[in-house]
Amino acid sequence: MKKILIILLLAGLGFYIATTYTGIGFGEPHFKHGVKDTYLKQTVQSLHVANTVTAIVVNFRGFDTLGEVTVLFLAVTALGSILYKKRHEVGVRSVLFSSSSIVTAGSKLLFPAIILLGAYVFIHGHLTPGGGFQGGVIIATGFLLMLLAYRNYSVSHIILSIVESIAGITFAGIGLLGLIYGETFLQNFLPVGVLNNVFSGGIIPIIYIAVGFKVAAELTGVIYTILHEKGESNG
Amino acid sequence: MVGTPVLFIAIPLLAAFLIPLLGMIWKELVRIVPGLVLIYLLILAVNLLDHVMVHGPIIEIIAGWAPPIGINLVFSAFSGFLVTIMIFLGLLIWLYSYRFKKNVGYEPAKKYFLLLMMLITGSVGIVLTGDIFNMFVFIEITGISAYGLTAFYTGRDSAEASFKYLMLGSIASTFLLLAIMIIYSQLGTLNMADIANRIHTMNPTYKIISLIFFITALGIEAEIFPLNGWAPDAYSEAPGPVGAAFAGIVVKASVYAIIRYIFTIFDVDGAFNFLIIIGMLTLIIAEMAAIRQEKLKRMLAYSSIGQMGLVLVAFGFGTEEGVYAALFLMLNHAIIKSLLFFSGSYLVYNSKDKLIAEMNGLGKKLPITSFLFALGAFAIIGLPPFAGFWSKLSVLTAAADKNMIFIMSLILFVSLIELVYYLRVVNRLYNSKEKASSIEVKKPTANALITMLVLGGLILLIGFYPDVVTGVLHKASAALMDKSQYIHNVLSINQ
Repeated sequence: MKKILIILLLAGLGFYIATTYTGIGFGEPHFKHGVKDTYLKQTVQSLHVANTVTAIVVNFRGFDTLGEVTVLFLAVTALGSILYKKRHEVGVRSVLFSSSSIVTAGSKLLFPAIILLGAYVFIHGHLTPGGGFQGGVIIATGFLLMLLAYRNYSVSHIILSIVESIAGITFAGIGLLGLIYGETFLQNFLPVGVLNNVFSGGIIPIIYIAVGFKVAAELTGVIYTILHEKGESNG
Repeated sequence: MVGTPVLFIAIPLLAAFLIPLLGMIWKELVRIVPGLVLIYLLILAVNLLDHVMVHGPIIEIIAGWAPPIGINLVFSAFSGFLVTIMIFLGLLIWLYSYRFKKNVGYEPAKKYFLLLMMLITGSVGIVLTGDIFNMFVFIEITGISAYGLTAFYTGRDSAEASFKYLMLGSIASTFLLLAIMIIYSQLGTLNMADIANRIHTMNPTYKIISLIFFITALGIEAEIFPLNGWAPDAYSEAPGPVGAAFAGIVVKASVYAIIRYIFTIFDVDGAFNFLIIIGMLTLIIAEMAAIRQEKLKRMLAYSSIGQMGLVLVAFGFGTEEGVYAALFLMLNHAIIKSLLFFSGSYLVYNSKDKLIAEMNGLGKKLPITSFLFALGAFAIIGLPPFAGFWSKLSVLTAAADKNMIFIMSLILFVSLIELVYYLRVVNRLYNSKEKASSIEVKKPTANALITMLVLGGLILLIGFYPDVVTGVLHKASAALMDKSQYIHNVLSINQ
């Protein structure tokens, strides 16, 4: 009885929310005053960046992105602190299996290609769709493939931690340099260059490359930590 | 001027990314650096607050785009006052936990101090920001640090408490995002002042729904009844200083967010009465629950929830006296509840179940800690001449000004309940008739003792000379009440 009541209540609530949101009509041009036009105009005119999404994420609302990067960093830290006591010695895994020779041979071939694709995605974040977060995730999948294919493949935690820290310091440091050389935090202080060049957009590509390294290091760290978690069943 | 408000966010973030590197050089640095950062921020906060008192609010734009295009931070008398309290409390919590649990290894210690620093930074960000999506990001930062800290002891119970908190926190984030979506779809802006300026053009249906979503989301973080199921578990399973941080810093930031939405952004009639009702419910139910608790930390947690209910009631009066009373309560709650959590965790340090019943006769074994706990208990009940008296008095006068006699009598009745359950604990501490507790006591470390003495001194100082804070409080409450000035200040900034 109680469960049915809860389901009915949730259904009612869901219906109410759904009708509200369908009424909004997303994708239709129904506000005149918003900030969107300024974003579209200023991205090309004053930032010389081809990808508006990147310009919004890294420049107009770069402070949010710094926050999101921190959220990921904290999530990894918290995960590490929770799983700390449950970790095996290096090289011992909770998931034990041997992969077939097709996987081992193929992953060796694919690994450099995945890394290259990831690097391409975050280096060209201001020109084409994609960016630091997406590129970083692609790189982390490359490491996941290697960890799945080779039993004794290991990634140095110290190196991951150093990469992570340096990338984070780069982001926050560029923000502070903006405060020193410009007037406000995260302000662009480099020449913006020519639209559609790799070297354009001022600080935007630098920040996105730092984000790419950071996300790649953090997600690799997460995969590695979870893979080496000591399960309850095998001790 | 010694700096700008953005440094409250930028410096701790930079330090957080640096700490893993510094830890490789010298392990002790992971404990020292957060303290240095907090000391610097406290100096900055006091200086800026001093500046703001005379020259009016500081509006800082970020990335060179004036509002509403970019994100901005607002350091007014109101937000600056809260930021100063939070950082001061954060510094004391750092000092207290510097040697808390000596046997903790390097890795957990690094993570503890990192998460603690980010918990404070996130809360400070919530208070400073002038942008609703940016506030969401800071709520995420605060939330994730809080989940990590709750699960710090990696036991079964703490994992459960953390998981509960994580689930409710995720629901809160979802609701918050849904509310932000509605606002953006209707007004095309995320800037608080810009929204406040144009909220009257919004369709009332959407306005109400987004306000409901905002209050649901923030109510989970601010421990409003009936959304506070996570709180007692999280408080009792987290390390003692973290409980103080939740009560003193995180909840304050969430209450600030609710108040900012209701006072500045939305113009919905009846929102103030809603605050009074929900605050009274939270207060009464939490205090009723507190009297039944057998574990000390759970009792303190419920008492903390109740205090926050009272704060909401005071804000709900909607008058400047009400805001003044609420801010005074928040200040006192930050000081007193931290003292109770600090001294309380030493009183039950070696006990396995942390029961109140095990605290018999500790007044003789731990004289200073017990004395400070008793001081905190008397202060939070509102006995003169301690700090809590003045804040409760100002709540009652604010209620009297609005002719809310029923609310007044309820507050007095609830204070009586509070008196009963705090005196029950204090009575056990000094009761020599029953068999004394057999549990080995743990003497507080020097830095913990200093922290508790500072807090105790503050309670007496504010109790005897309330004038030291009333000036700031009056300015802060005036700053919150003046909505049109806030909108004007933010929107008049040019690039």
